[in-house]
Amino acid sequence: MKTKWVAKKILTAVYRQKAIAALILVFAVMPLVNTSFFTVYNMVDMLKSASVYITIGCGVTVVVISGACDLSVGGIMCLAGIITVKMMGKYPLFICIIFALLMGVLVGAVNGFFVVRQKSEAFVITLGMGALLKGVAQQLTDAHPIAGTNKAFFEFGTGSFLGLPNITVMMFLILITTCCLLRFTQFGRNCYAVGGDYDVAEYSGIPALRTKWLAFVISGFLAALGGVLLTARLNTGASTYGDTTALLVNCGTVLGGTSFAGGIGNAWKTALGLLLFTVLESALGMGSLNAYAKELVIGIIIAVIIGIDSYDQKRKAEMV
Amino acid sequence: MKKELNLKNAFFSFIKNYFVGFCIILLVVITMIYQPRFLSASNLLNIIRQLGPLSIVSLGMSFVIFAGYLDLSVAGTISLVAVVTVSLIEPLGQMGAILAGIVIGTAAGALIGAVVLVVGANRKSEALFISYGMGMAYSALALMYSGGVTQKLGENQKIFEVIGKGGWGILSVSLVIFIVCLIILQILQSMTYIGRSVMLAGGNPVASRLSGIPVNAVVVLVYTLSGLLASIGSVVLVSRVTTASPVIGKTYETNAITAVLIGGTSLKGGNGSVMRTVLGVVLISLMSNCMNLLGISSYMQSVVRGLVLILAIWLDSKRNS
Repeated sequence: MKTKWVAKKILTAVYRQKAIAALILVFAVMPLVNTSFFTVYNMVDMLKSASVYITIGCGVTVVVISGACDLSVGGIMCLAGIITVKMMGKYPLFICIIFALLMGVLVGAVNGFFVVRQKSEAFVITLGMGALLKGVAQQLTDAHPIAGTNKAFFEFGTGSFLGLPNITVMMFLILITTCCLLRFTQFGRNCYAVGGDYDVAEYSGIPALRTKWLAFVISGFLAALGGVLLTARLNTGASTYGDTTALLVNCGTVLGGTSFAGGIGNAWKTALGLLLFTVLESALGMGSLNAYAKELVIGIIIAVIIGIDSYDQKRKAEMV
Repeated sequence: MKKELNLKNAFFSFIKNYFVGFCIILLVVITMIYQPRFLSASNLLNIIRQLGPLSIVSLGMSFVIFAGYLDLSVAGTISLVAVVTVSLIEPLGQMGAILAGIVIGTAAGALIGAVVLVVGANRKSEALFISYGMGMAYSALALMYSGGVTQKLGENQKIFEVIGKGGWGILSVSLVIFIVCLIILQILQSMTYIGRSVMLAGGNPVASRLSGIPVNAVVVLVYTLSGLLASIGSVVLVSRVTTASPVIGKTYETNAITAVLIGGTSLKGGNGSVMRTVLGVVLISLMSNCMNLLGISSYMQSVVRGLVLILAIWLDSKRNS
């Protein structure tokens, strides 16, 4: 009798923390497939990729908790990097980065305007915005990658601080800030309330409009920051970045336990989910699958994850 | 005080309802002034020819939007059907290859509909994500199946040649196919139980389900229809460009959605008509043609298309709020 109860408890815990369970699974299976998975080089590489995703993921988490989604993060990330690199030669580095971040804030504000004030469907508006930004990025670079010219920038992107890559340190700072923002501040609590039920939050006196709008601004800002970090790491700005990023980050958020219904989740959970995605990408790359099969598997995984999340909600919701 | 039914009121209400369409007509007028080549016979013929694939795909997309959903997988479906059809010409012959391609495309659409149904994606955004993810999977399948290679149609592929280039003057074969699909779908939408179910399920799913309308079947049906029409459009596209690239479907989903929205159908679902979509497709083709004639770079064109999409969505939500 007791063993059945314990087994049920374990299964529920595993089901809830899908990301941790899956991570453990991948780490257990990988050494059997390819031993070079556990080299320091590979680990550091995965960590750097994950850092960019997690930076963006923090912003997307805030938006998803508030009940919407943000698919323009890929376009913002790409454009931020291009703006930084393009302005590098003529202006000091500081100004370039500020400009890129400002662009992210602006795009986030526009997204927020359409979604919150005009009550458009967040998915389609942010999707269109992301496509638009990609077109702008292509126009600015004429579809060639452009190389960065600032040495300090590149050194920041590839250097390390106390053993961890600089990018990862920045990611941790942002992650901790976002977690504290969501858990300990009034704004964070408002996000959860707005995500749970927008109208009820508004009737309860929470500035729902402002909260949701600000969530989009934060997402835009962090996406731009992620773009700057990515460009620092690669020292190039290309309009081909960020094609699948939006989808990956949003799904990583869901995988980590922040549901699209809004109102639950946290940034560290997203970090775990995105870490899993990065590890998965790396693991798939190491197997004997070619690049296309990798994309296929990722597409299927995304559909499965969202499907499970949706099925979860369907069971919890009351059927009329 | 009753509003007078005169030309001025009709004009203003037209502008209000079809604002985006009105802007495009303005663009056409401007182009006519600056580029008299626009009115040449070859250009107008070109516009009508261009209508083919996108209009067929948009017809399928309109049904999905009537039901309140969006099908973002058409890019992948088009690419997959294209590569599969061309590769099957050898073993199955032309007609067989076309049929096989259409069957596969329809099955792909049905699969998405089934998945959306099973996971109970009653919040629309999750259904969109699922279709997006599966579209990505189909696109990757197309890449895998073809090995990334663009296949050319052989020399004496008669049927494809007829579809791509044949016809009598203005009535190209692709236009005829489009008109046939249009008539069938218009009849389906306005005069059959199925069509009414789709509109009602889109307008208010809960009330429809309580009234006995098979909302679940409607969801699977619209995605299947979208897959079917996407595969027909893919065959027409392959005939026109005589190659099958595994990324041939790239921008089709956003263009199809834009076409349906410009026509005046609401994203909310439950309203609109197939004829409106035709209007939207014509306007989008005109817009592309005008931008080409005005010499706007292709990147700026995609920026403009994104702007038009956002504008259409914004006006749609303004009308609903």
